[in-house]
Amino acid sequence: MAIKDITLGQYFPGESIVHRLDPRTKILGTFVFLVTLFLVNRFAGFALSAAFIAGVIALSGVPVKFMIRGLRPILFLIVFSTILNLFVTAGTPIVQFGPLTITEEGVYRAAFMALRLMLLIFGSSLLTLVTKPITLTDGIERLMSPLNIVKLPSHELAMMMTIALRFIPTLLDETDKIMKAQTARGADFESGNLFRRAKGLIPLLVPLFVSAFRIAGDLAMAMEARCYRGGKGRTRMNGMAFSGRDAGALCVLVAYFAATIYLRTMGG
Amino acid sequence: MKEKVKAQYMVQAAVIGSLYAAITLLLAPLSYGVMQVRVSEALVVLSMFTPAAIPGLGAGCFFANLLGPGGFIDAAIGSIATVIGAIGTYRLRNAFYAAPMATVASNAVIVGWMLYYFYAVPLPLVSCMLWVGLGELIACYGLGIPLARFLQSRRGDIGL
Repeated sequence: MAIKDITLGQYFPGESIVHRLDPRTKILGTFVFLVTLFLVNRFAGFALSAAFIAGVIALSGVPVKFMIRGLRPILFLIVFSTILNLFVTAGTPIVQFGPLTITEEGVYRAAFMALRLMLLIFGSSLLTLVTKPITLTDGIERLMSPLNIVKLPSHELAMMMTIALRFIPTLLDETDKIMKAQTARGADFESGNLFRRAKGLIPLLVPLFVSAFRIAGDLAMAMEARCYRGGKGRTRMNGMAFSGRDAGALCVLVAYFAATIYLRTMGG
Repeated sequence: MKEKVKAQYMVQAAVIGSLYAAITLLLAPLSYGVMQVRVSEALVVLSMFTPAAIPGLGAGCFFANLLGPGGFIDAAIGSIATVIGAIGTYRLRNAFYAAPMATVASNAVIVGWMLYYFYAVPLPLVSCMLWVGLGELIACYGLGIPLARFLQSRRGDIGL
């Protein structure tokens, strides 16, 4: 995979109401949506989930083709799972191709699983499409802050995640450079069995480690020089606050969750 | 002094996380799916040398999976599996050859279960676990052990 093909963070800039929601609302919303996908036990439930996610996508202004593009990497899994479910599930036969039989139950299960998988991908990719990675880690920090009671250092964890995120593109670039340099020196990353190939990556990883730990040392020194003292008493440039639209979004979420439960237990 | 150690620990963890995510993304699609060989899992041997690797690998796995095809569920469950594996490897750090086994086992069981249950991979649960375990075995022992041997001899130079 070429480095340019990696859409880091996949953030789709915008000013929509979904973009402007508090990251905590978005994380919570994604979590509830993903949970509901596993509560659904009939197609009517998926229709509701699809309508809900379609509504959120429309509000977010993220182009549909952008969302569909997110399915591309997992297309193989969807096709593989559909084909296997079609032929492996036992039940009432519909069509027969030699030893292979497609059953009524197989068609139902294949469609059910493919739909769930697609909605799963739509739901989780939408979160990163409408939330900047840094905002996302800020949201995670605030959501984890009650865990400070059990001595979980939420600030340090979020800070670490932010730094990690910042360095991914730098190290991607560095890895690519070292890979090319070592290939030019005769390193072989592509032949032999899997064990040999894995071992062949040592000439890549060793210089990468040296470079990465040098970066870490420099950054730690810079932070110390700027009197970094951890999370206590630290203020933010952009504060986080629940607004009316967050309350509205949470109400819609509760209604959606209740409707899913209703369809699961009582719906026809 | 305490603050310096804290910043150093945090930055080291962050850089390990970035390394994990960068290698995973660069070697995709081999890094995702049932028949995956996630080369970056070899980095788990770092937890034999520094506990900073535990949160670092967790964060790295979180981002790599979040940016991968599996999305949020893969990110949440995958990083839990990696953290558990890294803790096990850290605890077993004195048993050189056995230590990475904790990561192999944790990922095989948790990621295998996740692929079976959440992603509906149409293979029996045990097969899902075995496939993931095999990929982990290749990464952790094919690359991880030679890497750990190198790190053991050059620990001071690298700053671990």
